[in-house]
Amino acid sequence: MIRSFDGIIAAAAQAPPRTVVCPDPGPGELAVLAEAARRGIARPWCIGGAAAPPGAPFRFDPEEDPRAAVRRALEAVKGGGADVLMEGRGPGEAFLEALGDPREGLGVKGSVMSHVSVYPLLKTERLILVTDTYINNRPDLARKQQILANALSLARRLGWEVPKVAVLAAIEQVNPGIPSTVDAAVLSKMGERGQFGRAVVEGPIDIDCALSATAAQRKGLKSAVTGDVDIYVVPDGDTGCLLAEALVFFGRMETIGCVLGGVAPAVLNLPYVEEKNRLAAVALACLAAGKGGGNG
Amino acid sequence: MIRCLGDFERLAREKGPKRMAVLAPEDEEFMLAVKRSWELGYIEPVLVGDGERIVRAAAKVGFDTSPFTLIAAEGHQAISDLGIGMLFDGELPIAGKGQIPTSYIYRSIIRREAKAASGMTVSVVTFWEIPGLDHLVVMTDTGVNINPDLKAKREIVRNAVFVYHLLGFPRPKVAVLSGRRPGGGPMASYDDYLALREAAQAGEFGDCEVVEATSFTEIFLGGRGGRVVKEEIDDGRLPHILLVPCLDTGNIICKLDFFLDVNRSSLVATSRGPVCIPARSDFSDSIVQQIAMCVVLADRMGKEGE
Repeated sequence: MIRSFDGIIAAAAQAPPRTVVCPDPGPGELAVLAEAARRGIARPWCIGGAAAPPGAPFRFDPEEDPRAAVRRALEAVKGGGADVLMEGRGPGEAFLEALGDPREGLGVKGSVMSHVSVYPLLKTERLILVTDTYINNRPDLARKQQILANALSLARRLGWEVPKVAVLAAIEQVNPGIPSTVDAAVLSKMGERGQFGRAVVEGPIDIDCALSATAAQRKGLKSAVTGDVDIYVVPDGDTGCLLAEALVFFGRMETIGCVLGGVAPAVLNLPYVEEKNRLAAVALACLAAGKGGGNG
Repeated sequence: MIRCLGDFERLAREKGPKRMAVLAPEDEEFMLAVKRSWELGYIEPVLVGDGERIVRAAAKVGFDTSPFTLIAAEGHQAISDLGIGMLFDGELPIAGKGQIPTSYIYRSIIRREAKAASGMTVSVVTFWEIPGLDHLVVMTDTGVNINPDLKAKREIVRNAVFVYHLLGFPRPKVAVLSGRRPGGGPMASYDDYLALREAAQAGEFGDCEVVEATSFTEIFLGGRGGRVVKEEIDDGRLPHILLVPCLDTGNIICKLDFFLDVNRSSLVATSRGPVCIPARSDFSDSIVQQIAMCVVLADRMGKEGE
């Protein structure tokens, strides 16, 4: 069972190296990829971007246009030549638009892409997942089902046997006037019926009850997940993006993450991921990549 | 200027005791808070609810309630209507809830605001006290409006700026938060930011400034081009008021205090005075703090109205 960023790096280093394609890499991406190659985590493949360091032990393909570099990187992943896509230094807008493009993007029919953020807790050696923290603005119930499935697939790659899930909402009661509470209740029922495999899915649950068993007790909420949550599922894009950042800027927590649910995992270049943790982010995506590049 | 929750406690001792309708203090933790607030000279409680339960809870924390008015009432909505009615009828300057779901309180307030034709949109203002920061941070609306449209957000900003002015800050800074990110498609919360910034510049909310940042990354890093270094995060960059996009976001972020080194206090500023709305999971120390805050704001709102 993996409980830390170091554990993620170690596990990825023990697995066969994955081909990581990065369009338009800057010096930061090149340094991370070089280290990933040195540790046997990745076989880097760069398209365009900064000049290759002399003697770099990985593939460089020239490309002047950053947008074309993104397109070529997507083709590499979709063609099976690469297992992981890593965002380079180019404009984030172009990368995210290309990622979600219905024809040329990473999407798979019948599947939903979502971003899973991973945080180590400060007081105990343990990781938590928060999702979706970047991709979907207003996911409906069907999309939330996929978002949760993506997070569970990652949790299982991390060796968590029966993950405990909190489907968050503003309140812990089901209120037809608050759609997030209804979606959470349905996901919880799906979990109860085994639709997510071995997992405990609780919802709706408010953040105080999720974080504190004592708070839950005072509100009369009985649940196996209170104070012991592995995966937090947020109701919408506003909440996901802001919560992911709040944990970093208010909570001084470190984070990494990756996009799952597509042809292959993708690593975003997010300003709230510390430079020192970018290797762990690449390792996470490599760990999530299944045979043939999918995240299975 | 009021810069921390301790300032409320210091001032509450000077301005109290004020009469406060305490609605359904039927839980030991709440009753303990009422007892301490009385002992500290903040309030003179008027207890509303199930008499037997109230007396039982008081006995458990060693609080003799016999000197105080106890108004017997049954049922969450009836208790709430009674207490909020007393506030709106000017019988007392503060109301506060005990172990009663907040939705009943909101319903009572909304009905009474409508009856009073005040035109006020009811919203919850949550204060965060962050150690080392020289001002409190308000998050709003964290309790009432599920998915506020632009019209409602205008009122929510107006309410928060009004409250922040009461703290003695003449020109609070406001961040209108949004989950918008490059390439992520259109978001109503970002469109609202653009409109609210324009409205603030036109002076629609009184003296305040809507800052050019809609995410914590933009607030703390000054844009999306930088990269965080944990040791260099500067809380001083936080504006005074954070307008959250919707109820889910507000409630989830404001209650991160269960996880973080911050103190939280919430209230509803109605047209007739503050309503204290501690969460049912709050502990007595936090509830006492929230009562102190309401005492001070009731005093200042009273002076505004004079």
